[in-house]
Amino acid sequence: MMDTIPLRQIDNRERKFCLSYPLNDKRLLASIEKVGVIEPLILLEGPGASLVTGFKRLESARQLNIKKVPVVRIQLSEKDALLFAIHNNLTRGFNIIEKALALEKMVNMGFPQEEIHDVMALFSLNPHEKVLRTFLSIASAEKPLKDFILDYGLSMKNIEYLLRFEKQEQKTVMRTLTSMRLTESYIREILEMLHLAKIKQGSFDKSILKDAENAEDLRTRLKKKIHPGLSSLENKLEQIRKIAALPPGIDIKVDPFFEKEYIDIVIRTKNEQDTKELIRKLNEVLEEGHIRSIFELTKGRVR
Amino acid sequence: MNSQRVEFVEAKGSIVRDCPGTKHHICCGYKTIDLVEGCTLSCSYCIMKAYLNTPNIRVTNDIPYILSQVEDAINQETVHVLRFGTGELSDSLALDRKLDLNRPIVEFFGQKRQALLELKSKWASIDHLVPYLNPYTVISFSVSPQQLIDSEEKRTSPLYKRLKAAKKAQDRGCFVGLHFDPVVIYDGFEKDYHYLIEDIRRILDPEKIIWISLGLLRFPPMLFNHFIENKRKNLLSGEFIRGEDGKYRYLKMERIKVYRMLYEKLKDIDENLFIYLCMERNDVWHEVTGLEIANNEGLIGLFDKRIKNLYGGTL
Repeated sequence: MMDTIPLRQIDNRERKFCLSYPLNDKRLLASIEKVGVIEPLILLEGPGASLVTGFKRLESARQLNIKKVPVVRIQLSEKDALLFAIHNNLTRGFNIIEKALALEKMVNMGFPQEEIHDVMALFSLNPHEKVLRTFLSIASAEKPLKDFILDYGLSMKNIEYLLRFEKQEQKTVMRTLTSMRLTESYIREILEMLHLAKIKQGSFDKSILKDAENAEDLRTRLKKKIHPGLSSLENKLEQIRKIAALPPGIDIKVDPFFEKEYIDIVIRTKNEQDTKELIRKLNEVLEEGHIRSIFELTKGRVR
Repeated sequence: MNSQRVEFVEAKGSIVRDCPGTKHHICCGYKTIDLVEGCTLSCSYCIMKAYLNTPNIRVTNDIPYILSQVEDAINQETVHVLRFGTGELSDSLALDRKLDLNRPIVEFFGQKRQALLELKSKWASIDHLVPYLNPYTVISFSVSPQQLIDSEEKRTSPLYKRLKAAKKAQDRGCFVGLHFDPVVIYDGFEKDYHYLIEDIRRILDPEKIIWISLGLLRFPPMLFNHFIENKRKNLLSGEFIRGEDGKYRYLKMERIKVYRMLYEKLKDIDENLFIYLCMERNDVWHEVTGLEIANNEGLIGLFDKRIKNLYGGTL
């Protein structure tokens, strides 16, 4: 039965069933400010009146200094109350941190593996122990990491990369990446290279993050570190291009990894005279041995 | 702890298949007999970690069904000498003493005398097969420096046991194959491979080595993540690029350098050794061996010639 009770009767530090992250919700705050708390909070019957659902509403009401809120009391075991909270929130959708919190609470309350896997399937997660372990790590991560995950909408791959760093390393990485405007795929590339560099040299290189001026600079520095051979080939190709002084109408395309046996030579021409001139120039580049030099690179003959 | 279980599955569809090869790389036209899927040896770089969905070992033990497919393939082939292997989705010998799957196949090839069977392994257990061995069975071992075996192939036989088993097969009149695959670049690998080749020189009869393959470490993206997750320093210590087939491989100039080193050291044992590159590009072939192998057919032709040289007109 619905009731209206003073806010102070609800212990807002009791988070046994809290699945909301973050608790602050500007839109909800604005809504409650305008029309008050419409949907009642769900409390567990019994001493202590544990809140089962409505944590964001409670937080908004507190911030707005609302004195009384509508509640409904239910009589359930703790496990059932947690399942109630999960299912009650399913329609609004869970973000990745909330999924992690829900799974962590299920594990802590001793739910059997099968039931945990069922909920993982409801969350569209692969019900696999390895996935569960990752989510438990997310749940136990510190607030800045959780916020970073949500702010950047990180994919699971990137979250896993971040979690694999030591705590202090995570902080350094997040600080650097926050200062740069990066896309998800860019973040992935950077994190992958950072891990690779760490494994190769046996320690985390903080200086490479500290010294980077911007995202592109960071990427170049990391690339040089883990791809010294490829970087050197790129430099040599650049030098050949410079010496060959190709006109804008000629482009020589080389496989970015210098794998393919062939190169593409593209000529862009507007008329017969242009064509003649570009072919003459191309012939000159050929005679001077620049094309041969490029093939030396693609055939792995240059060190 | 090893939680793998052996499950016997019904023989269905094609058990005998063409080696899948890989785009833009030259394949030797091998035929695989996939009677076992999965492996107990669990090498850290194993590509099966990415491809197989179950941790269990699936065994198809309907030998007549399998042999009928082998026979069909042999009968349909009019140009080349077919080479079959059971070591594509598993190790050929790791479970064989227990499962006794290879014996009837070895016997079949011995009676058929029209194609070769290769048993490829890192598990030096051939005693149970010795009474049945015949010249149409090639006993092959993957070989790596012991240091790499210790770190990445922990459940396999040590190198000296593999070479001793290969020698035993040679003594029984079999040709043996050696597979330097995967060759891994790590700190000091050159010296380790040098010693490995010296061990081969010391223990084996080069005239009874039918072929030696060289294949540098390559793997799908899923394994790259697995290596990072498990901090496989040895496996990640080289410089990788994404090949045209989407797999990670060492930078081409590094591959050429390493292949050349191995090729020259092996040719130093015996100029007549037949050495081929597994899944490589044609320009790498050229840079390493001086041979112009334009496509798969070119390499298959080399195998035919090699087999003809060793077996004369009997195959």
